[in-house]
Amino acid sequence: MIAIEAELKKAAADLLSSGEAQMVLGFGPGSEATRTTPVFITGAGDTEKLVFNPFCVNNLVKYLIDLKDYPGKIAICVKGCDSRAVNRLLQDKQVDRNKVFILGLPCPGLLDPEKAEAVIDPSARLLTAEMEKDGVKITTDRGNYSLPAGFFMDKCRRCAGRNPVVYDRLVGQPLRENETGDDFADVKNIEELPPEEKNAYWDRQFSRCLRCYACRNVCPACSCRECVFDRAEPGWVARASNLSNNTAFHLVRAFHVAGRCVDCGECQRVCPVHIPVGILNRKILMDIKQMYDEPTPGISPDRTPVLGGFHTGDPDEFM
Amino acid sequence: MTAMLIDNGNITKFLDSVARDRLLVAPVREEDNVVMFRHVTGGEPVCLDYLNASVSPREMFFPATEKMFAFSTADGGLQPAEPAKGKRVLFGARPCDVKAILSIDPVFSGDFPDPLYLDKREKTTIVALACTNPSHRCFCATFGVDPAGAEGADLLLTQLESCYLAEAITPKGNDLLEAYRQFFSTASGGHAAEKNRLAGAAAQKVNKLDTGGIKELLDENFELPYWEELALKCLNCGICTYICPTCHCFNIMDFTRGGTGGVRCRTWDSCMFMNFTRMAGGHNPRPTRKERLRNRFMHKLKYHLDRYNLPGCVGCGRCAGACPANIDIRQIIKELREVAQNGR
Amino acid sequence: MGGNCACAAGNPLMPHTATITSVTEETGDVKTFQMVFDDPAVMENFRQKPGQVAQISVFGMGESTISITSSPTRKGFLEFSVKRVGRLTTVLHNLEPGCKVGVRGPYGNHFPYEIMKGRDLLFVGGGIGLAPLRSLIDFVLAEENRDDYGKVEIVYGARSLDDLCFKNGLMKRWPNIKNTSVYTTIDREDPAWQGHVGFVPAYLEEIAPGADNKYAITCGPPIMIKFVLSALEKLGFPDHRVITTLEMKMKCGIGKCGRCNIGSKFVCLDGPVFSLNQLKELPPEF
Ligand SMILES: Cc1cc2nc3c(=O)[nH]c(=O)nc-3n(C[C@H](O)[C@H](O)[C@H](O)COP(=O)(O)OP(=O)(O)OC[C@H]3O[C@@H](n4cnc5c(N)ncnc54)[C@H](O)[C@@H]3O)c2cc1C
Ligand code: SF4
Ligand code: SF4
Ligand code: SF4
Ligand code: SF4
Ligand code: FES
Repeated sequence: MIAIEAELKKAAADLLSSGEAQMVLGFGPGSEATRTTPVFITGAGDTEKLVFNPFCVNNLVKYLIDLKDYPGKIAICVKGCDSRAVNRLLQDKQVDRNKVFILGLPCPGLLDPEKAEAVIDPSARLLTAEMEKDGVKITTDRGNYSLPAGFFMDKCRRCAGRNPVVYDRLVGQPLRENETGDDFADVKNIEELPPEEKNAYWDRQFSRCLRCYACRNVCPACSCRECVFDRAEPGWVARASNLSNNTAFHLVRAFHVAGRCVDCGECQRVCPVHIPVGILNRKILMDIKQMYDEPTPGISPDRTPVLGGFHTGDPDEFM
Repeated sequence: MTAMLIDNGNITKFLDSVARDRLLVAPVREEDNVVMFRHVTGGEPVCLDYLNASVSPREMFFPATEKMFAFSTADGGLQPAEPAKGKRVLFGARPCDVKAILSIDPVFSGDFPDPLYLDKREKTTIVALACTNPSHRCFCATFGVDPAGAEGADLLLTQLESCYLAEAITPKGNDLLEAYRQFFSTASGGHAAEKNRLAGAAAQKVNKLDTGGIKELLDENFELPYWEELALKCLNCGICTYICPTCHCFNIMDFTRGGTGGVRCRTWDSCMFMNFTRMAGGHNPRPTRKERLRNRFMHKLKYHLDRYNLPGCVGCGRCAGACPANIDIRQIIKELREVAQNGR
Repeated sequence: MGGNCACAAGNPLMPHTATITSVTEETGDVKTFQMVFDDPAVMENFRQKPGQVAQISVFGMGESTISITSSPTRKGFLEFSVKRVGRLTTVLHNLEPGCKVGVRGPYGNHFPYEIMKGRDLLFVGGGIGLAPLRSLIDFVLAEENRDDYGKVEIVYGARSLDDLCFKNGLMKRWPNIKNTSVYTTIDREDPAWQGHVGFVPAYLEEIAPGADNKYAITCGPPIMIKFVLSALEKLGFPDHRVITTLEMKMKCGIGKCGRCNIGSKFVCLDGPVFSLNQLKELPPEF
């Protein structure tokens, strides 16, 4: 990954100096070796800050909503999963295609920062990251590490869309897609539990929820001007955090993004108490795929969201 | 005060016994990377080999949602919440989190003492667990916290080779030791020496950042371009405020289920949220993420000091690890210091 | 402070039940509510100072911070003038005499009425902004206090004739008290209005009251305050003799919920009353 950094920096500098874009939204070095942080670059000289390494976990697309009124054109770095979110916002007319330049970054997979930080010296500077068979080899100025596949983020281990689906310029070479595809094992593992155990599992998870709503704030499918959870009148879901309100929150949230969730995994990544919220979205995604034979939302900007239309031949066993 | 020993094997028995007599809150590992302070009733495994809990134990005194009273909409009749029942033990809190409780105590006392908080505070014996192996993200020493220290605790536990040293700090801590004496044995000077050695090593290991000049910089400069740059990244998600041990902001809300009655609760709130300061009519004195982010860090590094002469941050490192945008207070401290020294 | 605040069950966040005893329609969207605590001892011990506020509960809706608009010299009840702007105030506007509400307070600092003794006073108000000023106006104009203060001038304006609050005080009561003048204006012409037409700051400059030995106390919409402050400066008022009250969103009213801060100050504890020189010390975040 780091191998394409030079090309990325050059591409970004060209965009800014030619005036084709006024801002580059990308990843910069974070406060620890296993972290990166969003950077908003406006000067061609600052593009040296850009990085692309296995810790570029953020989906930056959400920031396009904040920057909706930015006067210039924004060049945004997107990985495969992030690129679906761009289509999501285009479909919802949240961003103007003419005001973004998409720098597509084929992504061989990210490492889970929390797992990696137990191994990699936090003050190290990453030098290279090479994919190996069943893992990744990281070299830093403080030592080298071979991290097995278990260190990858779960979403990356099953990822079937490493190459961006929409871009104006692809940085680096397209990667071969993972052939086995997404097996939804995380969903099935829970689906297979007997009802009482399934209940107990979710009760344990939901009772931990702080109701900070970070999972919502980070989500590129959540773009309502005023969120139903923030509304006092009518107060659909009481703000008090307890198991029943928390459960209501989680179900409403999951259904609200049904058919629009691009499976970027951000909601699950950010949760400070590690509630696997993504499994709820992915259960719906799995059903959509099985019932309607639809690809993951955001694959193309032209497709009607699956729950936004109907065909007379649609399955209706729930009727 | 007394210092005693307790064997690793006896800890569980001790806690089971405490849980029978008192309300016991202790760290429990819920998932791989998630340790939460939970009410334990005995028998469940308590986690003592954790770095720090995902959420601070301030919850024990200042719950995420707390009923204050019930009301009748029909006749305005009010029924105060039941006071906390019986004695309580907060077990295994890290020294930074204990110090944080001292930092928010004056918020809930002062001219308008808050009985819900203070009652729980008074009924609770705090057993701190010394950090003998602080994480790379711990920087409590920056704010005068001793990672193996006992400031604010009633009893301090330190893990030695094969047992824990329990040092009573206050009469409350002493009472707890006395009440469960059967699980403890006497400590020797050698144990104290071993503890001092571990404490010294911890103090060596933990990060101590230089905050020199930052307070003065912030006193003089409300506007810094720095806040604007930082705010671009912030999602205003509120994670940092919900997990922080020194954040104390709350909202007050009425909950009714139709009918003629309801309850008034306070719920955690966050200065990172847009609605926090949005007034009727739409005026918002902190309209953008910049003002909100600045408020949080000014609270941590200046406002709390101004008001209470106590640190608004205890260096637990939680927000630094959990912020989805890698907004890291340690880096903010370093960068503000640079601004202070070089005028940027 | 805490010792004599009216709160129930020793919890400063728990109000006392009170009954609405009368409702006066001031304008299309402002009503004045007179309230009496159900417990006579609470009523007796409630000692507010001019400029302080209370938290009014409408049970099921929450609480709102409202200035106590009645003067402490008028005992046995409290008055609150409330503008209908949102959830709680809308429901409150539908309540009638006999309805139950909750009240806790008094909170915040107060107008420096002690220091003002022996001085002339100039009140400048706009719209609902007269509500907090009214407690001080009625306090200094009360028979027992009138001689402690010099000349009293009241300059007040509203958008239209219908938006003038406290018409009884403006038109009848105050102008008839010795050494007291009232100047009222509305923003736009109205056939039914013979008085002055124009904005408050301009009217103030027209009247051109002297600044000698005088305190100016002002409250109103932010835009009005801004121009009034510059008018007062032109008239020669030093900053420490210009007094205003600030509004920030409040919940607890007692320095705990953390939302009403301007810099290190909490408006609920250190305000709402500030002099202009204090205001200039605060970061511009209100
Ligand atoms: C010191 C002070 C004195 C005030 N005096 C008066 C007065 O005499 N008369 C009057 O009509 N209004 C006064 N206000 C404003 C009044 O508090 C708000 O208009 C009112 O709370 C709006 O409530 P709402 O539920 O109708 O509006 P919503 O917008 O629905 O607000 C919901 C809740 O947010 C809080 N809130 C919203 N806006 C404000 C605000 N501006 N200030 C404080 N809390 C707010 C309240 O808890 C309110 O219940 C005063 C405010 C302050 C800070
Ligand atoms: S699921 Fe996690 S991120 Fe979402 S509201 Fe709950 S605690 Fe916050
Ligand atoms: S619901 Fe989660 S996975 Fe789906 S788009 Fe939103 S953040 Fe991404
Ligand atoms: S956790 Fe980070 S992104 Fe979220 S509100 Fe705090 S500083 Fe902003
Ligand atoms: S500001 Fe961050 S590091 Fe400081 S006490 Fe709060 S959570 Fe811990
Ligand atoms: S209103 Fe709660 S701190 Fe001021």
